[in-house]
Amino acid sequence: MSNTGFSFPVIHDAIDIMTPFLLAGIGGLVTELSGMLNIALEGLILLGAFFSVIFASITGSLFLGLLFGVITTMFIAFIFGAITIYLKANEFITAIAVNLLATGLTAVISFHFFGTKGNLVFDNFARLPVFDLPALDSIPIIGDIFLGHNIIVYAGWLLVFVFWFVLYKTPYGLRLRGVGLNFKAMSALGLNPKKYRLEAIVISGFTCALAGASLSLNIGAYVPNISSGRGWIALVVIYLGGRTPLGILIASFIFALAESFSNYAQGFINIPADFILAFPYIITVVALVLVSAIKKRQQKIS
Amino acid sequence: MKDSRNCSTVQLSGVLVTLAAAAVVVIVSIFILSKTPFSTIYYFFIGPFANKYYLGNMLNSVVPLIFTGLGISFAFKASMFNLGGEGQVYAGGFIAASVALLIPSLPGVIGIFLSLLVAAVCGALIAGLSGFFKMKWNTDELITSFLISNALIYTIDFFITGPMDDPTNNLLATRKIASQYHLLRIFPPSSLNISVIIAILAVIFSFWILFKTNHGYELRLSGLNSEFARYGGINIGKYIFLPMLWSGAFNALAGAVSVLGTTHCCIKGFSNGVGWNGIAVALIARNNPAAVVPAALFFAFIEAGANSAMINADVTIEIASIVKAVIFFLITSRVIYNSFRRKALV
Repeated sequence: MSNTGFSFPVIHDAIDIMTPFLLAGIGGLVTELSGMLNIALEGLILLGAFFSVIFASITGSLFLGLLFGVITTMFIAFIFGAITIYLKANEFITAIAVNLLATGLTAVISFHFFGTKGNLVFDNFARLPVFDLPALDSIPIIGDIFLGHNIIVYAGWLLVFVFWFVLYKTPYGLRLRGVGLNFKAMSALGLNPKKYRLEAIVISGFTCALAGASLSLNIGAYVPNISSGRGWIALVVIYLGGRTPLGILIASFIFALAESFSNYAQGFINIPADFILAFPYIITVVALVLVSAIKKRQQKIS
Repeated sequence: MKDSRNCSTVQLSGVLVTLAAAAVVVIVSIFILSKTPFSTIYYFFIGPFANKYYLGNMLNSVVPLIFTGLGISFAFKASMFNLGGEGQVYAGGFIAASVALLIPSLPGVIGIFLSLLVAAVCGALIAGLSGFFKMKWNTDELITSFLISNALIYTIDFFITGPMDDPTNNLLATRKIASQYHLLRIFPPSSLNISVIIAILAVIFSFWILFKTNHGYELRLSGLNSEFARYGGINIGKYIFLPMLWSGAFNALAGAVSVLGTTHCCIKGFSNGVGWNGIAVALIARNNPAAVVPAALFFAFIEAGANSAMINADVTIEIASIVKAVIFFLITSRVIYNSFRRKALV
């Protein structure tokens, strides 16, 4: 997607590309702070993308599609959380279950109702509305970069602020982070730490569903594996962002910028498509290893 | 648990509950999805045994699952997570095919041995890289192994569909390897071949390494309690790195024997799912090499059943993924196991 109408197409596209990383990242941050590494983000994004577009086509309404898509994804996240926490299962293995379920369930439903496991394209509902402020359009750079995105992009920014506020400025956020720091101590204080973890997982289901919806509703179609590793990149984004909402915002922008730039470079240099697909994984590994090496060195010095 | 027999009964009961739940899910989903549920269920459960061809192919698909099951068990025994099975299996198959194509005219046994060896070494290095990062900088091996694996999958896809694609064939695959490198078929007309013997040898070897050698003892101890192992004078850094080497080598062999024994070329995406299934096999087997065989059999049965149901009835093969998801959801539940433990104690 190179929008020739914008004078900073790479940055403009990066803002679109960063949205799923950002949304999945802040949801993953909540589970991370509650003391669980959530590797189910990928599957939850896929489920959100699938169910929001399916429900939008059934109801013919973008809003209802988004609503039911988000609710369904949150429900699956709830099952994932309940099994992990109350049946005391290994969180990584149950997360793999979510990822497997996502690819399996979407294919089974798609085959059963639409007779195909391939792309599902719909045109009976509107695309995600694009937000524009004519008054700001005339401002150079800012107007180019920050306007003309779909509404989920802006919802993402708003949510970063909301999550920052809730996590760091409310008693609820304090307790949730307390659960992550010391599960037993929170239990001794008379809180129910399990409930906080379950809620954290359901919250991650909410943001991942939005991340998925931003992918599928934007094009009015579901493509198998539409999440294509974004949930895993979001995990790395959480680490690289130093486990803070602002850090996640910056880290997801950097990753998105790299991806946007490689898309843009496609126009000039002919890079095989498979390498473009491999690229995000390679830079995330390199970034992850570099940051942990730097951290280790700092620890040694101090 | 003082009584070890009691403990294994508890383990087995827990596994059986999970597998029973999976069977219930298969039946319920078939009733929801199929217009002819009874015949679909028949094809799912009986289809894999219908004739020599289906039975042999199902047994043949056990082989890579045994290798990945062993590979993941080695990592789990040391409390390491190797989520890169998919890429390691694929790389193993690709490298075995490449080696066989590079040296097309050696005697069969030598060529096969070299292919397997190079594949295993490369697989070990791929997974070992994640172990190395973990040992050196405490980088989460769970994430790096997955990311490296995915980068590899796309890179191998490029070679198979690009420079190494066989132009004489419509299949997205490399050229066929020389016929003296094909592993001997033992149950025609199915693809079952002597790799099943290599797999059994690998099981015995793994059991011996893990339970009869000092290396295995230290590996298991580091996995159970790394602090304790460290106080006992064990170099725990070593047991972060080495189990990943084992893990990657076995995973790569899974791909290599599939290429040499079954497909005779590296087909694009041939390993899809084998790596994840290896994790499930290891979990069902509670990381015990001896139990990997029945666990792999069970998994091959699910795949074959879903495949048979897809061919003969009106459901899609992804129904197997839902069954697997149920197993992954429940197999590590301590509540399910504990409910048996209490009864066992009484």
